[in-house]
Amino acid sequence: MHRSPLPADGSRDRTAPPRRRRPSPLRISTVVSRVLIAAVLVVQVYPFLWLLQTSLRDRQDFASANPFSLPAQLTFDNVVRAIEQGDLLRNILNSLLITGGACLLLVVCGMAGAYAIAVLGFRFSGLAKGLFLLGIVVPVQVALVPLFIDYSRLGILDTRAAVIIPLAGFALPMALYLFLSFYSYIPRELYEAATLDGAGPYRIFARITLPMSWNTVVTVVMVNAIFIWNDFIFANTFLLSEELKTIPLGLQNYIGAMGNTDWTATFAAVSITVTPLLLVFLVLNRAMIYGLESGASKG
Amino acid sequence: MLPHRSRLSVAVFLAPPLLLFGGGVLLPIVQSLGLSFYEWDGITGLDFVGLANYRELLLHDDVFRTALVNQLGYLAICLLLQVGGGLLVATLLISITRGREVLKVLYLMPAVISTPAIALLFQRVYSYEPVGLVNTLLNAVGLGALARPWLSDVSTVLAAVSAPEGWRFLGLYTVILYAALLAVPKELEEAASLDGANPLQVFTRIRFPHIMPVFVTTLIMATTYALRGFDIPFLLTNGGPGQASELVTTYMYKTAFTSGHYGSASAISVIIVLECLVAVGLILLLLRRKAA
Repeated sequence: MHRSPLPADGSRDRTAPPRRRRPSPLRISTVVSRVLIAAVLVVQVYPFLWLLQTSLRDRQDFASANPFSLPAQLTFDNVVRAIEQGDLLRNILNSLLITGGACLLLVVCGMAGAYAIAVLGFRFSGLAKGLFLLGIVVPVQVALVPLFIDYSRLGILDTRAAVIIPLAGFALPMALYLFLSFYSYIPRELYEAATLDGAGPYRIFARITLPMSWNTVVTVVMVNAIFIWNDFIFANTFLLSEELKTIPLGLQNYIGAMGNTDWTATFAAVSITVTPLLLVFLVLNRAMIYGLESGASKG
Repeated sequence: MLPHRSRLSVAVFLAPPLLLFGGGVLLPIVQSLGLSFYEWDGITGLDFVGLANYRELLLHDDVFRTALVNQLGYLAICLLLQVGGGLLVATLLISITRGREVLKVLYLMPAVISTPAIALLFQRVYSYEPVGLVNTLLNAVGLGALARPWLSDVSTVLAAVSAPEGWRFLGLYTVILYAALLAVPKELEEAASLDGANPLQVFTRIRFPHIMPVFVTTLIMATTYALRGFDIPFLLTNGGPGQASELVTTYMYKTAFTSGHYGSASAISVIIVLECLVAVGLILLLLRRKAA
């Protein structure tokens, strides 16, 4: 279950200052705002509940009864069919490999770059920062045609590296900025003391900066893993063979092949691919939300 | 700056990110720009044509012009839902005391889902035969006359492919704007209320000016993301019916990977970059003038 920092009954730990007025009985504005909040919640969450419910619903029941009514009984037949007919498990493995590779590359490069700019410092560090900032504004489409040509010349088209490089490259600016803003909080005295003890730049990185970075690493990985896992455009352009296809591509294939003939299995396939990331998100949402908030206010 | 650093150590740490960013982002941008001056089908030799690709697109290509106009409609709907909706929901969240953390997480859920899944969901939401969610609701409230196949009706398809993108990231912008609103000093709001300001005045005079920097960032994020929006329209309608939901991005993709006109496609991608830069410049300019 999701842990809320607020107590369940909301009675203690009010962060607002003590109220001067007595809380009046529900005012109209309060009622309206609660209704709106609930309405938005329904719009955001109901589609998933419908998706999950339909994927556990009997095939005939779904075809004959109202598609939005509750299922008469739950069945896992659709899930079994979806796994048998598709390559979903292989797609999940491919997505794991590509997301893992891209995140690793992203973290290593983001940390090293931020260390060079913020801690070591050099004459053109401002220029380097500006150069990376460009990557936040520039759309990914610009890379499709040139990389397609470059990759086919180098012979790495249709390999995992072909998607890992641009995915990590376009995510690098934001990651670098998150590391930069964290490194500016590490006190100078720490580095000076280490220098007096005879530590050079490599040892300081390994003994001080790296061990202190783990929280930022988690944030960077969590935020970027969602977008890398869900990437469609690079994977669709650079991955051609079935053995390498990731979740979004596999799902699209499956929907194309089965979408009009076997609705409940298609919904089960979507649920199978959606659930792992959704579970990770529901458990680790704090790191993700923290990263999204600080990414926007500092980027 | 570390006292005992060396040039070599700077280079060692700077080389990996520069290689990745240079090879994956900067080099392709330069190559796109170069390639946009050539005509090339990917097989025979490069043919230098100067600005002809741009001239052809801007002056003679009706599909491209339709796509440009559509992209603006797509942008408007995304901004309305993401920044407008996000600001509204964030303001509402501030006013309640319980369960805000849980709500934030639930609002964010659609941002975690892959786009083919979202496209499939919305196909069912919009569908006419069998009756989808939107048409079911219209029938239920007595507006059955408005029911239609939203994705194949030329007059509604653009709005229908734009809404899922707005819906998907509403929670993201809510969370960002909510964090900014939380940082507004409570004393300021209280003082304004004591001076007789109504909630709307508290918002326009105190809260909104205070979150302005974050608001500008969100506006830039939402604009540049909407200008490069691709997956959902591509998967839902692939630009159709006709060119009714063709975006600059889907047109670029087809020009390159279906028709094989790499030079022309590069020119389109350069135009997308320019759009993003112009949009960011406009936002900064307009807001600076307003503040001055």
